Amino acid sequence: MISLSGLTKEFPGGVRAIDSLDLEIADGEFFALLGPSGCGKTTLLRTIAGLEAPTSGNVSIGGVDVTGTPPGRRDVAMVFQDYALFPHMDVTANIAYPLRIKKVPRARREARAAETASRLSLSGLLARRPGQLSGGQQQRVALARAVASHPKVFLFDEPLSNLDARLRLEARTFLKRLQRELAVTTVFVTHDQGEALALADRIAVMDAGRIVQVGTPPEVFHRPAGTFVASFIGSTPMNLLPGAAQGGALHVAGVVLPLPPGVEDGPLVYGLRPEYADLSQSAPPERNASFAGKVAVVENLGTSYLVTLDTGDALVQVVVPEGPPGTGAPEPGAPAWAVPRPGRALLYRDDALLAHI
Amino acid sequence: MSPADPAGLGRARAAGFVLPALVLIGVFLVFPALWTIYLGLTDYRLTGLAAADPQVVGLGNYTSALEDERFRNSLWLTVQYVLGSAVVGQAVLGFALAWVLRNRPGPVKRVVEGLVLLAWILPSSVVAFLWIALLDRDAGTLNALLHTPGFAWLLDHPMPSIIVFNVWRGTAFSMMLYGAALENVPPSHLETARLAGASTFQQLRDVVLPRIKGHVLTNLLLISLWTFNDFTSFQITAGGPEGRSEILPVYIYNVALSGGQLGFGAAISFLVLLVNLVFAFVYLRLLRGRREAVSP
Repeated sequence: MISLSGLTKEFPGGVRAIDSLDLEIADGEFFALLGPSGCGKTTLLRTIAGLEAPTSGNVSIGGVDVTGTPPGRRDVAMVFQDYALFPHMDVTANIAYPLRIKKVPRARREARAAETASRLSLSGLLARRPGQLSGGQQQRVALARAVASHPKVFLFDEPLSNLDARLRLEARTFLKRLQRELAVTTVFVTHDQGEALALADRIAVMDAGRIVQVGTPPEVFHRPAGTFVASFIGSTPMNLLPGAAQGGALHVAGVVLPLPPGVEDGPLVYGLRPEYADLSQSAPPERNASFAGKVAVVENLGTSYLVTLDTGDALVQVVVPEGPPGTGAPEPGAPAWAVPRPGRALLYRDDALLAHI
Repeated sequence: MSPADPAGLGRARAAGFVLPALVLIGVFLVFPALWTIYLGLTDYRLTGLAAADPQVVGLGNYTSALEDERFRNSLWLTVQYVLGSAVVGQAVLGFALAWVLRNRPGPVKRVVEGLVLLAWILPSSVVAFLWIALLDRDAGTLNALLHTPGFAWLLDHPMPSIIVFNVWRGTAFSMMLYGAALENVPPSHLETARLAGASTFQQLRDVVLPRIKGHVLTNLLLISLWTFNDFTSFQITAGGPEGRSEILPVYIYNVALSGGQLGFGAAISFLVLLVNLVFAFVYLRLLRGRREAVSP
């Protein structure tokens, strides 16, 4: 178990990369630190590793306070974004390097390197230098080096971001399976919300050195704690429309919607994922509860379209699945209605989640 | 325009442009070198009969040099000087400074670098005077600091004195070269080693040195060559006392100009030139090897 309490890291010049942060990561958990660049996620990972000393607060791993422990004695292994493979050593020597430092006899450490390499499908490459490997192979060697040292914790800094898009999907599946098999507590940093949703058991969404929300991928996706998380999670940004509660009804972008009981009058933000609305090209039966407008932009997403609707008051985006073969995309300029699916829209007041409608 | 003649000048005009430079090189570099070789084969002296009518003595100067105790002593002192002040002193201290300063924030780094650089760029007569003032027996700063009045550093320990002096004088180059080389070591590599539990020594051995091997060789060759030819110490000890700090360049000066044996001095100069050529040859081979390694 990793537990962080009151962790603060302030760099010279007064930049607070981490701001009094508390977090608990369970044994065997695959945990993601997600956030935009500059949010402090990498600094947090490096602080867990011991590469950065916190300004205040504590880090403990497996119940032992390691705040003042040097990185080499924390029993953690880190995979860096650039893999950090030593160019003058072959694959075996790279994988076995941490074992060599721990004075494991040569024959034993080479056997362990070979065994780890075969598990990561690197067996034929043991005598090669990193310069002779593809990006995906280099990434697996870096993983193998971490795995071979049998650490208590894996720390991955953007492990997939240096791979090209197709390889990244493969490597993602591979990484998830590997973590399941090894069941080693793993913390990884990513700025890619899709990667975090796909890999992690739990996600901590970070912004400006603080954790905004911690939760499982479905929790973070369906119940974003604030508008920052709401707009950050999801492959298409959530529609966030300013509105107001007045006399038991919600007024948003020219539409009046019913409100659940107990919502007091006042300003609100109405959030609706583009995937959770249907586009109708003719007036729908629930037209009173729909956003009517003109198609402004149509973006092709392959098996669907992202349609931007101009209602006059606001822009509303809707993901429209492709129709039967032969049917085309909605035409820009055509009138259309965005019909929210019931129970999928979110209401925020003072940046806190208030209700689903 | 053919590929062999991209400027389209033609052979004659191209030669015309190069000629002035070639003449300068010929007059001031090639001719004196050849003249030195010739002088080395004669008994030419600054004064006396042999000055008016020098005789060719063949390899006589060389054989007498190799038999000369003073020459062999000077050669041995030069080896000490190069190993002590360049290979061990400047290279090790320069690397240590570069390593310690690599992540240091602003002012500390700038001040240390500034001081080290200052020692390097000051004129040699100025630094020689500074060191005489430092080491002087009666009014020297060092004796005042150590409360050892009357201790004659330059008389009792002339070689250590000029070795320390040359380390102080020349470390800046190694520090700057290694400083630039260390920028090539990716931080993630050092951090990977740290996470594996590697000590500083292991980090240097496994991560840093393999990365900067080329820089180390270049640096060692250059500072060895410069130290081998260095004459600044003459301004401090003039080779004395009794030749105990008489490294080769000082020896040549003392023999040829103070002693007037121009022919003999020229022969020694030629030997020094040969050593320089060996250094230069190794250096060029090394550079070529590195270039081929970079672009196969």
